[in-house]
Amino acid sequence: MSRRIDLTNEYQYREMQSRTRRHFIKQCTTGLGSIALGGLLGCNRNAPVDPVPDLETYVRKQVPHFAPSAKRIIYLHMAGAPSQLELFDYKPELAKLDGKDCPQSLLEGKKFAFIQGVPKMLGPQAEFSPRGNSGMVVSDNLPHFSTIVDDATLIKTMHTDQFNHAPAQLLLQTGSPRLGRPSMGSWVTYGLGSENEDLPGFMVLVSGGNTPDAGKSVWGSGFLPSVYQGVQCRSEGDPVLFVSNPSGINGSLRKQTIDAINQINEKEYKEFGDPETLTRISQYEMAYRMQTSVPEVMDINDEPDYIHEMYGTDPGKTSFANNCLLARRLVEKGVRFVQLFDWGWDMHGVAEREALDTGLPIKCKPIDKAMTALVKDLKQRGLLDDTLVVWGGEFGRTPMQENRGGKEWPFKGRDHHTEAFPVWMAGGGVKGGFTLGETDEIGYYGIKDKVHVHDLQATIMHLMGMDHEKFTYFAQGRDFRLTDVSGKVVSKVIA
Amino acid sequence: MEQGSDIIIFFGRFHPLFLHLPIGFLALGFLMELLSRKDQFAHLKPAVGFVLALGALSALVTAVLGLMLAQAGDYGEDLLFIHKWSGILLVLFAFGAWWLHFKREKKPTLQIKRAYLGTLSIMMLLLAGAGHYGGSLTHGSTFLTQYMPDTMKKLAGIPVEAKGPKLIENLDEAVVYVDIIHPIMEQRCNSCHNASKKKGDLQMHTKEALLKGGENGAILEPGSAAESEMIKRVHLEENHDDHMPPKGKSQLTDDQVLLLEWWINEGASFDKKVAELQADEEVKTVLLTLSDPNANKTAVEILLAEGTGPFDEEKLNAYVNEGVAIKRLSNEDNWLQVTLYRKDSVDAILGRLAEDFPDQITWLDVKDTQLTDEGLVAVGKLKNLTRLRAEKTTVTDAGLAHLGELNFLESLNLYGTKITDTGLDHLSKLPNLRRLYAWDTQVSKEGATKFMEEASLIEVNLGYEVNMIDSLTVEVKPIAVSN
Repeated sequence: MSRRIDLTNEYQYREMQSRTRRHFIKQCTTGLGSIALGGLLGCNRNAPVDPVPDLETYVRKQVPHFAPSAKRIIYLHMAGAPSQLELFDYKPELAKLDGKDCPQSLLEGKKFAFIQGVPKMLGPQAEFSPRGNSGMVVSDNLPHFSTIVDDATLIKTMHTDQFNHAPAQLLLQTGSPRLGRPSMGSWVTYGLGSENEDLPGFMVLVSGGNTPDAGKSVWGSGFLPSVYQGVQCRSEGDPVLFVSNPSGINGSLRKQTIDAINQINEKEYKEFGDPETLTRISQYEMAYRMQTSVPEVMDINDEPDYIHEMYGTDPGKTSFANNCLLARRLVEKGVRFVQLFDWGWDMHGVAEREALDTGLPIKCKPIDKAMTALVKDLKQRGLLDDTLVVWGGEFGRTPMQENRGGKEWPFKGRDHHTEAFPVWMAGGGVKGGFTLGETDEIGYYGIKDKVHVHDLQATIMHLMGMDHEKFTYFAQGRDFRLTDVSGKVVSKVIA
Repeated sequence: MEQGSDIIIFFGRFHPLFLHLPIGFLALGFLMELLSRKDQFAHLKPAVGFVLALGALSALVTAVLGLMLAQAGDYGEDLLFIHKWSGILLVLFAFGAWWLHFKREKKPTLQIKRAYLGTLSIMMLLLAGAGHYGGSLTHGSTFLTQYMPDTMKKLAGIPVEAKGPKLIENLDEAVVYVDIIHPIMEQRCNSCHNASKKKGDLQMHTKEALLKGGENGAILEPGSAAESEMIKRVHLEENHDDHMPPKGKSQLTDDQVLLLEWWINEGASFDKKVAELQADEEVKTVLLTLSDPNANKTAVEILLAEGTGPFDEEKLNAYVNEGVAIKRLSNEDNWLQVTLYRKDSVDAILGRLAEDFPDQITWLDVKDTQLTDEGLVAVGKLKNLTRLRAEKTTVTDAGLAHLGELNFLESLNLYGTKITDTGLDHLSKLPNLRRLYAWDTQVSKEGATKFMEEASLIEVNLGYEVNMIDSLTVEVKPIAVSN
């Protein structure tokens, strides 16, 4: 019964959302008269709402289902999908097959983004050795990361359902390959709230020259109230666009303006009861507080030199290193979910910078240094205990060399591969120096302890103290959850 | 038995569907017969014969279907025998009751009346019996009593089992199959593979049955878990048709799978003791939990799992209104986490918090505030505190003396404070301290090393030494020597 009421409410709410000024004018052509009649007859389907609920009560500040081991997350998403075979998955057998035709059994019934006909196998384009006390095998492309393997859990057997970037990124970040679902960060902030009233609970930093293929939907709030969407900050120029005062407007005038707008919005809310109006009110207030809090937290110039050296930062520029340092500053301030996207890992081998033997080492260097510095810096501040760092792409790359257009390319690249790719996690209650899963001799399939994208999401939720099966939101007539209808917590990686 | 089409079993599987008809009809006929003797229900009388006829005919159909289902051979012989014959007798008595009813309508002699009532009563008894044994065949014979309250069980003379799995007292002397493996199978396999029910022609309740295997042959390959059909099926994806236990039934835990694999890899012996088998570290860790569920947990984990007493919600709300971030650690228990964001009067607030929630506060975050040594007096009274963040405050060595009673403190963050090597002396007695963050303090490398030698379980973090090699390479080495 209550479900039906929920559904009716949601229908009205969606309809109100669509009743914008533009729709109004459009619909005028079909009859202002009927609207006037509606007004005369006193038809007001939307009962007035009074009083305006405080967002504190509207935003459910939930307590987790069970005691969390992680209070914050930094998710380092390598957009484009780095090659596991040159970084984390050492396959000496594949080296022996280098240059041979790929067996039919690996091609039958498979879909690839670019591979056509029969491609050649491509051996590993990097050297590997066991590192740290745990002996985790990592390639020479990651000399810095090799010093923190004893703090990290490496999952070698991730697999996904999608072989193109945008849907795979959406599946990883929102639980569905199609648009419209809330992202992981939105779910987490919806469930746990922020720990800092002056900063958004979910912040996004992008580097590598491009936003991810799936666009801003990968940090969108989907059907959750839009107050939970990720707020993107830039490391060059104004951190958040349009937050600073225009020239000629001082702080107190800005404050008065915002107060006035909010009064109007409150009136609007009392009249129509649209929860998005509440979001708007809280965002104006948040934006005002962010005028001081954001420039403060985003200014990395006050960091000591050795911190800059550790990360390899370049103040004033956009870089992954800057973003890693910012991520640390943000979680230090209590931001719940910091999402970094770094573009440029899609190494098909159709250009020099996309070559696995030459382009990849160059791409790896600054990233390896910065992500390692992040883990170490969190550790010396005692933050790694309850901050979960996750690193990975949206899928892996084929053990075969890409033969786009059915021809041989001068550079060594690999195509998109869904069956096996790595993710590493550190801190936040995961094991250190632990490798989960095995792939077959050429790194094509996971053969032991396979972990689906939904399993990873379930595990991340579990570490945050949330039961992914109970944590749902009612929308469009049914309960939704991040892991949709599947996902199992990978208890083996939990310390 | 051949998988695939088998018309007899196909129809046989309608038995569980049809059996509800005779139960309903016959019970209804019996009830109508009794009730129609009252004037109030006399109008039911003419319908009794019709209902009994329906009952008898549906009982016949059900019995035939049941005999067909029995061809599948998934069921234990003893129970099946009782169920089969009580069912067949039920059919005979149902027809008998119908026929006698018909006779009585024609010529109601006393003899016929008595025979009719007797037949009707025996029919009801047979109905109950056949129904009950049929249920036992499908659901197992303990299905009805499994969740009976203990007091009722005692009255009924059913043995009461201890809650949870039985703990093993002497692990080394425990017989692996009897004390470890059999209980796992009892819990996860035997509801479908037991004395009275043998799905896939497989029973798993005894040594002989396990060795015999099922319709596809042996399920155990002693010495190789990976080659054993039973383990192969456990590892299939849950949606796979052959996955065991089937989707929807309670699944084996990772630990249980590990133990089963270990037992098979070690030869699947039915009489060897734990001490006689080789066990690696992973198996040993799991084995320990069989004699003590808390074996691998730290004192802090046990404390947090045990929980703590309730607190005054109103007081909590008062703090929240005051701007103190205090909330439950989770919905499951009464543990509290507190974060102080305001910089001033921290010592005073801590003093009040220690009065109001001395047992509940387990995580405390007072970083970057005006906390002084005075405030640590109050902190020292939070006896169940497990995590304390007091970095970037003005606390000194003297303040650390107040923390001596924090027996469950596990993580202590003091980076960016004025503490020195002397202060560490106050901490070396803390039995559960595991992590100490002392980067950017006066604590020296030598002091930390000495401290870690004394208290071997503590890891002191003094930060990192940063050494630029070139623009893309940097050497970042931990300062304290980790033990």
